[in-house]
Amino acid sequence: MIDVRQLKKSFGSLEVLKGINAHIREGEVVVVIGPSGSGKSTFLRCLNLLEDFDEGEIIIDGINLKAKDTNLNKVREEVGMVFQRFNLFPHMTVLNNITLAPMKVRKWPREKAEAKAMELLAKVGLQDKAHAYPDSLSGGQAQRVAIARALAMEPKIMLFDEPTSALDPEMVGEVLSVMKQLANEGMTMVVVTHEMGFAREVGDRVLFMDGGCIVEEGKPEDLFDRPQHERTKAFLSKVL
Amino acid sequence: MDFRFDIIVEYAPYFFQGLLATIGVSLVGIIFGLILGLFIGLGKMASHPIVRWPFVWYINFFRGTPLVVQILLVHFGVMPLLFAQPNAIVSLAVALSLNSAAYVAEIFRAGIQSIDKGQMEAARSLGMTHAQAMRYIILPQALKRMIPPFANEFIVLIKDSSLGMVIAAPEIMYWGKAAAGEYYRVWEPYLTVAFVYLVLTLSLSKLSHYLERKYSTS
Ligand SMILES: Nc1ncnc2c1ncn2[C@@H]1O[C@H](COP(=O)(O)OP(=O)(O)OP(=O)(O)O)[C@@H](O)[C@H]1O
Ligand SMILES: [Mg+2]
Repeated sequence: MIDVRQLKKSFGSLEVLKGINAHIREGEVVVVIGPSGSGKSTFLRCLNLLEDFDEGEIIIDGINLKAKDTNLNKVREEVGMVFQRFNLFPHMTVLNNITLAPMKVRKWPREKAEAKAMELLAKVGLQDKAHAYPDSLSGGQAQRVAIARALAMEPKIMLFDEPTSALDPEMVGEVLSVMKQLANEGMTMVVVTHEMGFAREVGDRVLFMDGGCIVEEGKPEDLFDRPQHERTKAFLSKVL
Repeated sequence: MDFRFDIIVEYAPYFFQGLLATIGVSLVGIIFGLILGLFIGLGKMASHPIVRWPFVWYINFFRGTPLVVQILLVHFGVMPLLFAQPNAIVSLAVALSLNSAAYVAEIFRAGIQSIDKGQMEAARSLGMTHAQAMRYIILPQALKRMIPPFANEFIVLIKDSSLGMVIAAPEIMYWGKAAAGEYYRVWEPYLTVAFVYLVLTLSLSKLSHYLERKYSTS
């Protein structure tokens, strides 16, 4: 579903991604961990070209992102993204946050978009917030709305960049449980997170990044319990 | 001191004409300033420095030189190239439009750049085009923040339209000066003119507050 080959990316003279190779299958949940500044966000943002990359290639669902005839907006329609800081649209109600892209991008009629939005709000447990504005939501609620907003486009892949890092501890669970449910339904997911419990329970595979490279990868139980590399061991000893 | 209301009454039809002219050039200045300013502001945000360059210098020129000079240049320099008989009101309206466009461009740019980067990213990640993201996400939020600086700019514009006097554009200030010259009086004509500007600028300020309140509650 996602094929990344020799991905390289620099910000000025700082090389942030130094040749990433990754293959993510349909329905797989891949968790990316690693120290701050290791390039996790940059990697994730390259997958929907929020960040342009310098070298290598990314192929999503058979589409080469760098091919000349590729319509990036079309690719982004199939790749949902959830941000650490939610990025809800503050001037719109929760309902309009969710229906905007389906109506403007997918050209759905309002009734269809609203029905879909209500169904998703029910799924994340927030039907009663449909007409609220983002300002009035707690962090956990806002992040669940953001997930519903991304899902409304019916993406094939969902990217999560530290979706619980900006939340108070008591709200982390509600967001993780929505993500868990999504994983159980077979969504292809790439999740950057510091929630090792989630990685172990939900992840099919864990990638450990450090210094712009994938240092080690494997099944959660292998990587967490029997890390092979010194850097992985050092990192895990700090976070576990 | 006796205040001769009869002078004001006698000159009322001219003051009224002048008022209409002042409102007219101000409206033209505001409307074309907004349209041209949006375009220039977008140009100044272009990613390529060479594309940005003419817009940057447009803004530098119109913000960095006196409006009086610009009015004179437009009326005696540019307009004669286009028309056999340049009309002072038209020249004034053009100069005000060009001048306010420079300020509007900066207000647009600052307003758009004040919106959190995450808003554009979220919109793009949902498959919206840059234009759709601007239209539905960035501009509605930015415009709200632009209302007070726009009101400021347009209040200045209304007052500065009085500089049309230097090319004898018959706006309200011109008629004030004419009355002062005809009757050798200072207070009656100039206070009348001052009062008219005050009413216009206060109305605009009220409108701005109304819009600010309207858009901050929704
Ligand atoms: N827009 C940018 N311009 C310049 N440097 C950047 C930019 N974005 C990221 N960087 C740098 O690239 C490196 C990798 O950043 P990235 O955000 O990918 O790390 P991360 O692994 O997600 O870290 P964290 O856990 O703190 O989120 C960092 O050194 C960061 O300072
Ligand atoms: Mg990050």
